[in-house]
Amino acid sequence: MSYIENSEQLTGPFGEALARGELIVQKCNSCSELIMYPKYRCPSCFGNDLDWHAVSGRGQLLTYTVLRFGAPSSFDVEPPYAIGIVRLEEGPQLTGRLHPGPDGTWDHYRCDEPVAFEPAEAAEVAQRPAAWFAAPQES
Amino acid sequence: MSNMPYPEPGSASDAAFIGIGEIPSGKYPTRGFMAQLVEAAARAIADSGLKHTDIDQLVLIPNLHGIPDQADLIFSRVVEELGLHGRAKSSMMIHSGGSTSDNATRAAAGLIASGQARNVLVVQSEKWGSADLSAMVDMLSVNGIPREWEGTSGLQFNAIGGLITQRYMHQSGSTPEEMASVCVALREWARLNPNAMWKDRGLTIEQVLGSKLVADPLRAYECPYLADGAAAFVMTSATEARKKHDNWVRIAGSGGCVSHYSSGQDAELGELGWPKAAVEAYDAAGWGAEEADLAEVYDSYAAVLTIALEGLGLSKKGEAARDFHAKRFSPGGGFPLNTNGGLLSAGHTGVGGGMALLVEAIRQLLHRAEPERQVPSAQRCIVGGSGGSYMDAQIMMLERVEK
Repeated sequence: MSYIENSEQLTGPFGEALARGELIVQKCNSCSELIMYPKYRCPSCFGNDLDWHAVSGRGQLLTYTVLRFGAPSSFDVEPPYAIGIVRLEEGPQLTGRLHPGPDGTWDHYRCDEPVAFEPAEAAEVAQRPAAWFAAPQES
Repeated sequence: MSNMPYPEPGSASDAAFIGIGEIPSGKYPTRGFMAQLVEAAARAIADSGLKHTDIDQLVLIPNLHGIPDQADLIFSRVVEELGLHGRAKSSMMIHSGGSTSDNATRAAAGLIASGQARNVLVVQSEKWGSADLSAMVDMLSVNGIPREWEGTSGLQFNAIGGLITQRYMHQSGSTPEEMASVCVALREWARLNPNAMWKDRGLTIEQVLGSKLVADPLRAYECPYLADGAAAFVMTSATEARKKHDNWVRIAGSGGCVSHYSSGQDAELGELGWPKAAVEAYDAAGWGAEEADLAEVYDSYAAVLTIALEGLGLSKKGEAARDFHAKRFSPGGGFPLNTNGGLLSAGHTGVGGGMALLVEAIRQLLHRAEPERQVPSAQRCIVGGSGGSYMDAQIMMLERVEK
């Protein structure tokens, strides 16, 4: 029986989807559980028939922070930048980046408010394959 | 829930803390890693009333500052340094980050209870305060953080503190002043602890709120200071303790919950694993928050502590930061908490932060703290630890035994 043999196989499809501007999560074909972060075995039924599933990208911002000092050197981004934890409307949750508003700040974000997946540009995704989210703004 | 076969109090399988040792925490660049460790070990052995040759089991708590020193711990350098080569039965390391001291206690108590060790020395040393800061930032950005899923968003330790604090303040409605008062209360305790990093410097709410934002809503004075330090304790069986001591400290029960690995996967960021662990610990001990005389609970950020206090039932849900603001947990307040100053004011000695809290709990229950901060006739203490990205909540229910 085949199984996911390394972390490249586990993470690769997620990064490839981001590069296409799509957000996907892992799905268990045996019990239909949506899984994030992807695992080698389904955490629910422990099966290994695992696939991918496109999600709406809509979710709720559980919490967020703006890091202003002390970015990891390997991350290679000059602070400030914002990180959020998003619970997708399909259920799974994940950590990602938050786009700043037109004023260049993240002051408009609030816990438990809606956010939506809004992919970063291709060069950014290629270097740092993370999901980016934005809050709908009053115009 | 509790059908755990806890040892009969006072029996040969009932583990007893009989001695502690500690050296001051802070920035001590000329103090070496092994020198610190041997000094803390020697102080604990002297405090225990044993001879160094009575130690037959070493349980080593890892350092986080560097691999070569870690290798020295793993490969029994400490056995030689303490003159125990040819005598010690076993030397091993236990590691679960900030909850290591709790799990090392479990291991030591289990070895005693099962008759596999007589006198166990648990010892820790850390050189974080003198280490290269940017190297430590990078190291802490991969500890408890999945590189492929959260490293790609630039997550690091202060950002995790910011995420948890933001969620806690949102859920509880706590104000920045109330959050800052947590750090102020811990500083008041640290001023009474000669081993605390910040024993000589006061702190006000205004100073905290005037410091720069680091990871919103966390400010610089709300982040822990990396420190050098070392601590140790000695455990034996109650039957051995009785031969030399009039009093000792036993483990009435424990509880634990490993709630997650990565911050992004914790479904209850405002609770972590504390409520579940507390039910188990209180059931096992037969006593809980109402009966405790004091508590020593992991506090690398204010919200990490307030969340724990609420899960432990030491504050009502959502009220812990306001309790701090009302001085309930300050010296002279209603409930003594983190009486050494905690990680936030005694110094964050890596894995040693939880160790320092545990050692302070034992010290308080042995009635060996300096008079200024000794909790009068302390009998029962709740100890709480947490490791990694607050992956677990570990609770030790400690009680004083008098012969």
